[in-house]
Amino acid sequence: MAGAAESTVVREDTSTYEAVAGLTVGLAAILFFLGLAATVDIVSVTGTLAGLGTLTALGLLLVVMGLAVVAFGLASYRGIFPTDPRASAGLVAATLFSGLWFLVGALVGSETLGLGFGGGLAVGLLVGAVGFAATALPREDIGSTLPAGALAVLFGLVFLLGVVGPEWSWSPASFPDSQSVTFFARTIAPFAVILSALVVGWAAAKAYGGFGARGRHLGAYLLVYLNAIAIIAVLVALVAFVVVKGFAPVTESVTVGLGVGPATTIALFGFSYEVVWPVNWPFLMNGASLFTDVTGVFPAIVGTAWLVVGAVLLAVPLGVGAAIFLTEYAEQGRFTRVVEVATNALWSTPSIVFGLFGAAFLVPRFTPQPQKSLLAGMITLGFMLLPLVVITSREAMIAVPDEYRDASAALGVSKWQTIRSVVVPAAMPGVVTGVILGVGRIAGETAPLLLTMGGGSFVGAGQRAKVLDSFQLSLSPPFVTNPELTQATTALPYQLYQVVLTGTGETAGVTDITAFGWGTALVLLAVVLLFYAVGIATRQYFRSKLTYE
Amino acid sequence: MATTNERDPDGWQARLASRFARMGAVVQDTENDAVAAGVVGAVSLAGAFAGFLVTSPYTSVCIVGFLLSVGYGWVRHQELAAKGVTMAMTVSTVVILSLITVFIFYEAWPILQDRSGQVLGVTVPGLELFTTTAWTPAEGTPRYSMLPMIQGTVLVTIIATAVAGPLGVAAALFISEIAPAPVREVVKPGVEILAGIPSIVYGFIGFTVLSPWASDQFDLVGQGTYLFVGIVVGLMALPTVVSVAEDAINSVPESMKSGSLALGTTDWQAMTTITLPTAFSGVSAAVLLGVGRAIGETMAATVMLRNTPRVAEPLYNVFYGFETLTSLIAANYGSSSGLQKDALFVAGCILFVSVLTLSIGSQLIEERMDHDLGRAE
Repeated sequence: MAGAAESTVVREDTSTYEAVAGLTVGLAAILFFLGLAATVDIVSVTGTLAGLGTLTALGLLLVVMGLAVVAFGLASYRGIFPTDPRASAGLVAATLFSGLWFLVGALVGSETLGLGFGGGLAVGLLVGAVGFAATALPREDIGSTLPAGALAVLFGLVFLLGVVGPEWSWSPASFPDSQSVTFFARTIAPFAVILSALVVGWAAAKAYGGFGARGRHLGAYLLVYLNAIAIIAVLVALVAFVVVKGFAPVTESVTVGLGVGPATTIALFGFSYEVVWPVNWPFLMNGASLFTDVTGVFPAIVGTAWLVVGAVLLAVPLGVGAAIFLTEYAEQGRFTRVVEVATNALWSTPSIVFGLFGAAFLVPRFTPQPQKSLLAGMITLGFMLLPLVVITSREAMIAVPDEYRDASAALGVSKWQTIRSVVVPAAMPGVVTGVILGVGRIAGETAPLLLTMGGGSFVGAGQRAKVLDSFQLSLSPPFVTNPELTQATTALPYQLYQVVLTGTGETAGVTDITAFGWGTALVLLAVVLLFYAVGIATRQYFRSKLTYE
Repeated sequence: MATTNERDPDGWQARLASRFARMGAVVQDTENDAVAAGVVGAVSLAGAFAGFLVTSPYTSVCIVGFLLSVGYGWVRHQELAAKGVTMAMTVSTVVILSLITVFIFYEAWPILQDRSGQVLGVTVPGLELFTTTAWTPAEGTPRYSMLPMIQGTVLVTIIATAVAGPLGVAAALFISEIAPAPVREVVKPGVEILAGIPSIVYGFIGFTVLSPWASDQFDLVGQGTYLFVGIVVGLMALPTVVSVAEDAINSVPESMKSGSLALGTTDWQAMTTITLPTAFSGVSAAVLLGVGRAIGETMAATVMLRNTPRVAEPLYNVFYGFETLTSLIAANYGSSSGLQKDALFVAGCILFVSVLTLSIGSQLIEERMDHDLGRAE
């Protein structure tokens, strides 16, 4: 690799080239954010930007950057600046560029030139093929800059020359009237800008690295980092949006002080004692009622709590037990393999299918009359949780090193004792983390509840599921009954779905149903994310404590 | 039967006999009260299951019987009882899982039989559900076509995969190979939390913000587009792709990457020439699982779509969203009965079978990757 050492020496005087390329990457970033701002109307496409019409300004920027990128390629090709390009830009880049150019060609061919679907396809294929050849055939410095720069210049010219002006719009003729679509400049232009910014930024980053291995490295890292940042940004934006929208309705008329809250009566063994809460939080403590100022989600919170309790009580013992048998007792062979495949498959089975099962199998089997019920919802969610508990518990138990078991066996301890005092405690962190994350997931699950449990769109506080108070003993089978368990009730995600069904406006004593919906969404999100936060924190804690090596 | 036995002396009868003999020996070695408790426990568990199936009030009696026998066994023979109970738990897990399959198909059968059609003289159950395009349950001659919903599911899944596939693989690469440790500690839990946001919350945001915005931007008739449902569903499938793909990339032996780096390649070269090709099957399994998630996503679709089954025209018109298989079930189950309800179960069967195929396929691919890596080491 003598060339490598040589080029490092020569690289000394490439600083101007690198500086300009770096500047272009920065400009591309600015362009990217301008495009993003235009999609959400922070920058108006019909307004002005830096004294010019927005589209003219954006077009100018695009043309300048496109030309700059092409210039980098040419300068490198002519050897004005020393770079070490490969023979070709590669098939991945060629495929992506040919796809982009195919779309451009097809749209121009079928609509601008009016050649129809077949003609558009032909023009698209032609332009795509040219794009592919222009990327794949020449040396890398030309192949990765020319198609990219040309795209930006094309979009830029379209905006500059007013082919697509601020008031431009286009409705494809092939769409029927009842399903018509109109593309406006205000919608399309920002996306074209974002796309060109990405392409040009990538090409400029490659030029900055001097093409070759280092250039590719930089170009790829730019996109990968951007992707990671975008994912985190979307997450933060989603959560922040719900918090901002839901904060006001959730915290409406919260008061703190002795004796302001609702009273809870605790009755045990004939004694009854009344506790008055020191805080009054209407959104969390009220139900829906015409007589309260603030409509709350108390019954839904109670419903979700019972659902989680029921599902965990069903799934955790069953799943952990099955995992113990599969890992410790059963011979590792076809049977364990089949069970493993089946549990994995069930974990990815759509929740609505579980709902169908619950509706067909569970709902008709609870007396006195078949109806959606809390119990059916609990069992359905328990079944959904079951595969995850089996999978994570098995993983955790397999991860326990065999030395632990051998050491225990060498002490003359029986198998079950070994499992109980060595394997299960060592696997506990994994099991607990898996269960917490799984619970977070089922707590927000809506689809199965529609089919098995949900009833009542806006439920009063008095109609919440009072499970503990309603156990009844009787002398005839089944001896223990609990009407609350066999009745439909509500839960947080179900409540939110009801808000959507109701639409917007005033109903059932709820003054602003959309605000109520945002409040419910915030409470649900808080509950679920709390489970996730606890789960992830538990995992981090145990991971730092426990290493098997 | 006799001829098979002559040819194969070690046939199923012999194997069954030896199994019984072994079982007999085990029973002989075990104390009588333990065997009795085990039998009582097993019988009452089976009784409880049967009782539940026929909705008998005596189910609870059987459950109590099971608990009593387990309690007795636990006190007297903990070792055996533990093995027995964990085995019973495994069996019930398997039974529950098979019940799900059986019941969905059982409920779908009436309409499949009713709407059967002839192909080359062979009766194919449910054929008529796929030869028309109308879903009109309220008309005199009701039609239940699955085609509009299949179109919706296919469009949504394609868009979601286009979002979740490339972005998910890039994010997995970032987390496992590129990101410095402190950044990874933020991004990885971040992606997991993205999976935690309930689908109804996504749906609510879509319903109140995205759908009106899309209708305004594209001047649509009414609200609901496959395009934005697909993007939202892709966002929801993203974490699945990331976590599975990350596992696959992590499982590539460090020695292979170090070997490449020692030859003077850049990190990115090592990734594209060594890590990604080696992890290719695992990464494709991740994308398949992501597709499965996208197919099965329900609430975001139900809330954001129009819930009036129709075929979008032209077939690639993603700007109008009518119904997917999942949203059909969620939106119509409460108000349907008879054949219409059975048709919903048909939709469930289609979902179940396609997701099952994807899941098993991705597991086979993953297994192959483990196998290959084992050989490479």
